[in-house]
Amino acid sequence: MFLIIGRTIRASFINFWRNGWLSVAAVSVLVLALFVVGSVFMVGLVANDVLQNVEKKVSISVYFKTDISEEKILENKRDLENIKEISSVEYISKDKALEIFKRDNADEPVIMESLEEIGENPLLASLVIKADNPSQYQAVADYIANASFKDDVGRVNYGKNREIIDRLNGIIFQIKKVGLILVGIFGIVSILIIFNTIRITIYTHRQEIEVMRLVGSSNMFIRLPFIFEGIIYGVIASFIASLIILGTIKIINIYASAVVSSGNLFSFYLANALYVLGLQIIIGSFLGIASSWIAMRKYLKI
Amino acid sequence: MRRENKTEIEDNIEIENEIEEMMPENNSPLIKFDHVSKFFKDDRIILDNINLEIKAGEFVSIVGPSGAGKSTLLKMVYVEEMPSEGSVYFDGVSLDMISRRKLPYHRRRIGTIFQDFKLLPQKTTFENVAYALEVCGLSKEEILQDVPQILDIVGLGDKMEKFPHELSGGEQQKVVLARALIHKPLVIAADEPTGNLDSANSLEIVKLLLEINKLGTTVILVSHDREIVNKANRRVILLDRGKIICDDAKGKYKIC
Repeated sequence: MFLIIGRTIRASFINFWRNGWLSVAAVSVLVLALFVVGSVFMVGLVANDVLQNVEKKVSISVYFKTDISEEKILENKRDLENIKEISSVEYISKDKALEIFKRDNADEPVIMESLEEIGENPLLASLVIKADNPSQYQAVADYIANASFKDDVGRVNYGKNREIIDRLNGIIFQIKKVGLILVGIFGIVSILIIFNTIRITIYTHRQEIEVMRLVGSSNMFIRLPFIFEGIIYGVIASFIASLIILGTIKIINIYASAVVSSGNLFSFYLANALYVLGLQIIIGSFLGIASSWIAMRKYLKI
Repeated sequence: MRRENKTEIEDNIEIENEIEEMMPENNSPLIKFDHVSKFFKDDRIILDNINLEIKAGEFVSIVGPSGAGKSTLLKMVYVEEMPSEGSVYFDGVSLDMISRRKLPYHRRRIGTIFQDFKLLPQKTTFENVAYALEVCGLSKEEILQDVPQILDIVGLGDKMEKFPHELSGGEQQKVVLARALIHKPLVIAADEPTGNLDSANSLEIVKLLLEINKLGTTVILVSHDREIVNKANRRVILLDRGKIICDDAKGKYKIC
């Protein structure tokens, strides 16, 4: 078994080498396809990172009427914490709210002055609610609107960041859609070209194949070199495409680093490079195997 | 052909014993064509209701004009062609019962020889024969042991490192014969083996085939070379337009 695999891998490397420019063409177009695969994957990763950052800043604030006691509010807080969609509930007391307000508006003398004039704390105590998933905020908002304490609630602040998230989600969806279409187009083109290359390999080896059949070589032994050849195309193209993506990111790093949370797109890429490469190898090998299988179905008589 | 060499004789005996072990025990035919017909898509009839039995150890010459269906008949033995109607039985088993996965194992029981040799030009004599073992997954040790032995039998022990283009036609055909014998087949299927050879070389090949037959291997020889068929002086089947015209136990070419 090892003998067979060893011999066929050797044979497929020789095929790859002897095909020369045909191999170069097959690998090039596959590199293009895998570059698109990798780029789309990277954009997806970056977009997820951005989205997660924005999502962290989303929350629902529930402001309670002035006459509601602190114990009552904390009781409500405990109830809310038991809901599984809600990841955290933070209590902001009237004093703390004032503190935050003063800090945020320290540069605005007019506001500070008018605050002095009021004399007392005009702010309301609130609960800041965060959900696990941005799509769950609607449900949480609905829950609060119908909650047992709804009469105690003065105001619900919801939807501030929601629009941004919806827009971002829309953009990501569009990018993924366009990316998948591009991957599809390039995938089909690469299958056609690899198919053609392997067809020619089969043609140049028709004598060997005929002899193999006549002397009773197993079907697998006849087929495996072509399968391996397809895998070789996929793997080599994956590495080249990864290098190109690495170079591209190195170049755009200066302009685009602000996008990711860590502030360095290149190191963000390095952290995910293995996933990108792995995905490319899987897709590349799949395209290679698929094309040689089609070529063998059509041209290799067993 | 002189073969006084002692080791060669020993080798021959060894192979003879091995072949005997592989022989079917009963006296039923090794190959049986049962109402076999073959049509092409344009309704051309290649073979027309062939009934034929070949026993183990026989030497059968199939003769007839071009297009009579001789090669098609032979191809059915090693399942390069399938009958349109009827069945071919090998060792009691219908060949269309053999799955595609098992087919290679059937082909190892049959050694094939062709007019155009089908040697790989970029491989030496040794490598060409070794290739048949290599692609069937045998180890290097087995190859190094078996290949020189078989090349000695066909008399090419001293030309192992020569490439096909450095050999004469007769020598090339002997390499093919060695390759055909390497799996110790039950049957040698020879399709016009002397078509590209002069009469001296042709005779030598036939002598080798007769010798192989003497050791117990069934030989089916397709040919329209009158001289070599007469030389064999064995069972002759005359085929014309897909039909068996006559079948003589001790025949001459075109006697009927």
